[in-house]
Amino acid sequence: MYVSQAIHGLAYGMILFLIASGLNIIFGMMGVLNLAHASFFMLSGYFCYQVLTMTGNFWLSLLLAPIGTAFFGIIVERVFLRRMHAFGHLGELMLTVGISLVILAGVKFFWGTESLPIPVPESLQGLVRVFGLEYPLYRLFVIGLSLLVLILMILVLYKTRLGMIVRAAVSDRDMVNALGINIPLVFMTVFGIGCWLAGVAGVAIAPILTVFPGLADQVGMDAFVVVVTGGLGSLSGAFIVALIMGLLSSFGIQFVSQLAPVLMVGFMALVLIIRPHGLFGVEE
Amino acid sequence: MREKKVIKIFLWVILAAFLLGYPKFFGMYYVNLFVTFMVFAVFSLSFNMLLGFTGLLSFGHAIFFGISGYGTALALRHIEGISLFSAIGIGVMGAVILAIILCPVVVRVTGTAFAMVHLAFGQLMYVLALKLRNITGGEDGIGNFPIPDFSLFGLVSLPLKNNPLNFYYFALFILGISTWLMWFFTKTPFGQIQIGIRDNAKRIDYLGFKVPQSKAVIYVASALFAGVAGSVYGLFHNLVSADGSLNVLVSFTAITATLIGGIGSFFGPIWGTAIFQILEEITIRFTEQVELVTGVVMILVIMYAPRGFAGFLALLKMRWQMLQAKRGQ
Repeated sequence: MYVSQAIHGLAYGMILFLIASGLNIIFGMMGVLNLAHASFFMLSGYFCYQVLTMTGNFWLSLLLAPIGTAFFGIIVERVFLRRMHAFGHLGELMLTVGISLVILAGVKFFWGTESLPIPVPESLQGLVRVFGLEYPLYRLFVIGLSLLVLILMILVLYKTRLGMIVRAAVSDRDMVNALGINIPLVFMTVFGIGCWLAGVAGVAIAPILTVFPGLADQVGMDAFVVVVTGGLGSLSGAFIVALIMGLLSSFGIQFVSQLAPVLMVGFMALVLIIRPHGLFGVEE
Repeated sequence: MREKKVIKIFLWVILAAFLLGYPKFFGMYYVNLFVTFMVFAVFSLSFNMLLGFTGLLSFGHAIFFGISGYGTALALRHIEGISLFSAIGIGVMGAVILAIILCPVVVRVTGTAFAMVHLAFGQLMYVLALKLRNITGGEDGIGNFPIPDFSLFGLVSLPLKNNPLNFYYFALFILGISTWLMWFFTKTPFGQIQIGIRDNAKRIDYLGFKVPQSKAVIYVASALFAGVAGSVYGLFHNLVSADGSLNVLVSFTAITATLIGGIGSFFGPIWGTAIFQILEEITIRFTEQVELVTGVVMILVIMYAPRGFAGFLALLKMRWQMLQAKRGQ
C-alpha cells in the first residue's frame, strides 16, 4: 500500500513539476509570474479531448495538444504581454489574470461545464507488477513521460545555443540584448516552451482527473504553491518541492483525508516563515 | 479660494442628501445593491491602502474580510445578548490578530512573492473554513444567526433583522466612518511615509524611518478595515460562508475594482467598485458569461488605461484647467 501511494504521489508530483517548471522558466526570463499558466494547462486538456474525439488517437493528441497550447501562448505573449512589458510587473500580472478569466469563459462556451472523460489509451491500460504489487501502467507512463521531458529540457537548456542564450538572458537581459540577440524573439520562444510544458502536463493528467473548467484552479493552485515554496525562478527547487508536495498529497489523502489540502499549504507556510523567498529562492 | 470652499461644502451636502434619500427614490432591490456596493467599496479601499499607497499586491485580502465575518457570526450565535458593536468588534479583532500573526512573514517579502504568499494563505483559510465543519459549518457556512438592534448611545435604535431599509442606514453609518478614517489615515504624516515606501523604500530607510515596522502597521490597519467590511457583509446577508467571504474571487473583486478605478488614487476603488457593479448588473441581464466580460474589461483597462477611471478624471481635470488658463489670458 505504501508503495502504491508513493507512486501515486510521484506521478502527481511530476505533473506538478511540469507545470511549475514552465512557470519558473517564464518567471526567470521575464520576471512575470504567468497566472494564466494553469489555464493553458487546462486548455491543453480540452485540446486533447478535441483531438481525441476527432481522431480517436491518444498519441496524436499528446503530440498536437501541447503544440496547440504553445501556439496559443505565443499569440498571447505577442499580442498582449509584450506591449505591457514597459509598464512594470503589476500590469503584466493582472493581465495574465484577465487572460485566465477569458480562457475560462471560452472553455465553458466551447465545451460546456460538465467534466469530459478521457479514456486511457488501450496500450497503457491494465496493471503491471511493481515490487509485488499490481499497479496501473498509466501512472508509471506519466512518471516516465515527465522524466523524458525533464531530460529533454535539461539538454535544451545546457547543450544548445538557445539554452545558452536563455540562461544568459535570465542573468542579464539587457546585456544579451546589447550583444545583438533578438530578446523579444527569445522571450516569445521561452513563453511558448513554458506553455508547451503546461500542455504536456495537461494531456498527461486528463485521463486521471477528466477535463472540467475547475481543473485550472484545482491543479494550478498546487503548482503555484510548489513554485512559491521552491523559490520563484528556481528549477531545482521546483523539482524537489513538487515531489514532496505530490507525496504529501497522496499520503495525506491516505492518512488524514480531511486535512490533505491543508498539509501542502501548511508545509508552504512553514517554509516561508523560515525562508520568505522559498527553499531555493534568492532575494530580489 | 473661499468660493471654492463654498462649492465644496455644497457638493458634500448634496452627496449626503442623496445618500440619505437614496432609499426613497429607488426600490428595495437597488437599496440592497447599494449596500453591497458600499461593502465592497470599503473592502477595495482597504485593499488599496496596501496596493496603491504602499505598493504591496495581495492576492488574499479576503482572509481578513472572511475571518471577520466568521468572527461576528460566531459571536452572535454563541454569546447571548451581545451588542451589535461588540460582535463587529470581535470580528474585526479576529482580522487584526490574524494580520499581526502574519505580518512578521509578509513584511519581509515584496512583489510577486508577497502576492503568492497571500494567495496560498487565502487558500489555506478557505480550505480550513470548509473542513472545520463543527466550527464554521462547512459548505453551508453560518447562517440565520440573531442580529441585535443598532443602537447609538441610546439615541436611536433600529431593528436590523429582515429590515433592509434600516440596514442601509446602519451600513452607511459604519462604512462612511470607515471611509473617512481611511482617508484621514492617508493624510497623516504616517500615511505619507507609506507613499514613500512605495516609491523608494531604501530612501525612507535612510531617512530614519523603520520600513518593515511601518509596513506592518499599514498591513494591520488595512486588515482592520477589510474586517469592518467583511463583518457588515456577513450581517447583511445574515450568512457567512467560505464561498461568499473567503473565496479567492472575493480578493480578486477588490483587485479588479482598484485596477478599474485607478491605483494610487484614494477614491479610485470607489469608482472602480461602482463601475464593476454596474457592469456586472448589466452583463447578468444579457449573458451568463460574466467571466468573459470581467476578463476583457480587465485586459482593456490594463492595456489602454493603466491609471484607471481616476486617471481618466485627472486627465479631464487637467484639460479643463488648461482651457480655463487659456481663456484667462
